[in-house]
Amino acid sequence: MNKAFIIAKWEYLEKIKTKTFIISLFLTPIIIIGFALAPTLISNRQDDTTKVIGVIDTSGKYFTPLLRNVEKYKLTNGQPNYLLINLAGRDKNFTGIKKSADENTLSGKLEGYLLIREYSNDSTKAEYRSKNSGNFKDLGILREAFNNTRIELKLSEEGINPSLMKFISNSVDIKALKIEKGGEESPSDFLILFFTSFIFIILLMMMVISSGGMLIRSLVEEKSNKLIEIIISSCTPNELLAGKVLGLSGLGLTQVFIWTLIGAALASSAILPREVFNHILPVLLFFILGFVFYSAIYVGIGSIVTTEQEAQQITSYLSLAMILPAAFALPAIENPNSAFVHILSFIPFTIPAIMILRFNIGPIPVWEVLVSIAIMAASIYLSIIAAGKVFRVGILSYGKRPALKEVISWLRE
Amino acid sequence: MLEVNNLTKTFKDTVAVDDISFNVEPGKIFGLLGPNGAGKTTIIRIILNIIKPSSGTILFEGRPFTKEFFNAAGYLPEERGLYKKSRVLDTLLYFAGLKNMNKKSAITESIKWLSKLGIENYKNKKIEELSKGNQQKVQFIASVVHNPKLLIFDEPFGGFDPINQQIIKDILLSFVDSGKTIILSTHQMDTAEKLCSDIFLINKGKEVCSGSLWQIKKKSGANTIRIEFAGDSSYLNSNPYVSHIDSYSNYAEVQLKDNILPYDFLRTIIDKININQFSIIEPSLNKIFIDAIKGNSY
Repeated sequence: MNKAFIIAKWEYLEKIKTKTFIISLFLTPIIIIGFALAPTLISNRQDDTTKVIGVIDTSGKYFTPLLRNVEKYKLTNGQPNYLLINLAGRDKNFTGIKKSADENTLSGKLEGYLLIREYSNDSTKAEYRSKNSGNFKDLGILREAFNNTRIELKLSEEGINPSLMKFISNSVDIKALKIEKGGEESPSDFLILFFTSFIFIILLMMMVISSGGMLIRSLVEEKSNKLIEIIISSCTPNELLAGKVLGLSGLGLTQVFIWTLIGAALASSAILPREVFNHILPVLLFFILGFVFYSAIYVGIGSIVTTEQEAQQITSYLSLAMILPAAFALPAIENPNSAFVHILSFIPFTIPAIMILRFNIGPIPVWEVLVSIAIMAASIYLSIIAAGKVFRVGILSYGKRPALKEVISWLRE
Repeated sequence: MLEVNNLTKTFKDTVAVDDISFNVEPGKIFGLLGPNGAGKTTIIRIILNIIKPSSGTILFEGRPFTKEFFNAAGYLPEERGLYKKSRVLDTLLYFAGLKNMNKKSAITESIKWLSKLGIENYKNKKIEELSKGNQQKVQFIASVVHNPKLLIFDEPFGGFDPINQQIIKDILLSFVDSGKTIILSTHQMDTAEKLCSDIFLINKGKEVCSGSLWQIKKKSGANTIRIEFAGDSSYLNSNPYVSHIDSYSNYAEVQLKDNILPYDFLRTIIDKININQFSIIEPSLNKIFIDAIKGNSY
């Protein structure tokens, strides 16, 4: 096994110096954090100036109550967030007003304007017209204010006590709490849950994809320049396989280590939620089990590849397969106790992602954790044996890629 | 001594190596010769445990050639290539390490070989920065740096200029003096003729001829005569003693019929053409090779 370590050391030291590795080492966390933070940063950004919004109300009855309903939105400096301007009363030239409102919006004098049309059959239509239709925050506020206004008007029309309106419009928010061991409770936040679980699942996928790709490329290089023959005449295929997986795992652990450092630095500066590290030990365990399992698969499949082109093809297929568990994890967040999720907790391909997720969602029965670990360990053992068999023959097949039938016959040997 | 006994290797429906046996003695260069696709590389791969034979055995120093001999073998494959992005000395140390050489002696030996081949200045350069010839030198060093007992060279001279070819030849001959077991696989018959004392000629997986170079030449070289002359040589073609003639503008290689002695032949031509030189020759290995592959028997 001494030679396995020599190979592992060589693979590790030569790969860690490559540009690809260094770039992925620092780029991956930046991309992930960027993706995770950008939407929240953008959607939570406060307006810093009052927005002027016009109102064209053909019925004339909505403007005043609408004004009251929008008043409660304030900027941080206490100024109103929205200033509504009545652009039209009842009997005026509708087309002309709309035209000038359009012009004012385009020229920037108005942020946009609300067009309320009431038809004779008692139906009401409202449009918010602005330069960009993508401002969900403005639209949401206007929608709520307008609908409250409508209900208020209707209620007062029917002679119902306006205090009832307050009751109707005050919906009660259900607070979500997660029960932890020892009866503690902690606020559960979808965003944090998503973040804490997905950050590890995505890291795992990225790591497997980047280091697995490196492994396949290096195997193809060794095959094409026949270095593989010199190596195989110096050690056994199993030593070579073990060396490659060890070296690769070393690279993976280095990545995790550096990423954890980056994560810890970000968490201590409150950029990353502290909750990410709540279940770090079991999460890391499944992380490493998953990494070794996927690496063995990469080695086995990679040894069949004979050309650079095939390597590219096969790595892109493998990458897709690696992303699948992450896709399965999404429904698991929505419904963590469904039978579907429990089944996925026992399938080797999805165990790492699902278990990482479930640790963050809530307590898992101990037997389920143990069974998952056992399944993972058995799968790793079997995948290494299978990879070894394919590897032994695969690394020496040049030129034509072996057919699936041949590969299966190698497995039987 | 390396003993190869009744080696056979079949791939699916083709027989790549068909019942081959030979012995390689230490202190000699053993020439494994044959045209492209003859099965030379397959034999080498089987000897080195890279692939398994369908049947037959390989013994080295009396024992099966298995894992324990990995460190005793050095191999230079025909197709060359190294890790392009890695540095020269690092690469050599890696291969020396794979042969279980300790780091200290690996460094001394690597440096010794690099300076022997005149490329010690490149030791910290990346392989891709070296010229092709120098890359080949690095690979040659990688195959010998661990001082192996058994050396297998597949076309070691390819890609070297004549000066470097000479350097490599001298190194090979120095290995002979130190009693190593050496297999040389090559197409370059003139080189094989100069270096190899034992020859094994293989074609389409089968043995064509084998033995010491001297024996083979004697066997196939009987009754070949080289005549240098001036004037018309057309007479030679009709000479009744001649079985085969290769004539060139001012010399000819003549093979006599069996039982005809060279001086009988000389007597018949002495008056007919102006002879500048008359010599009894051994055929070149090149000729033996071509004739053997074409199916001429000896």
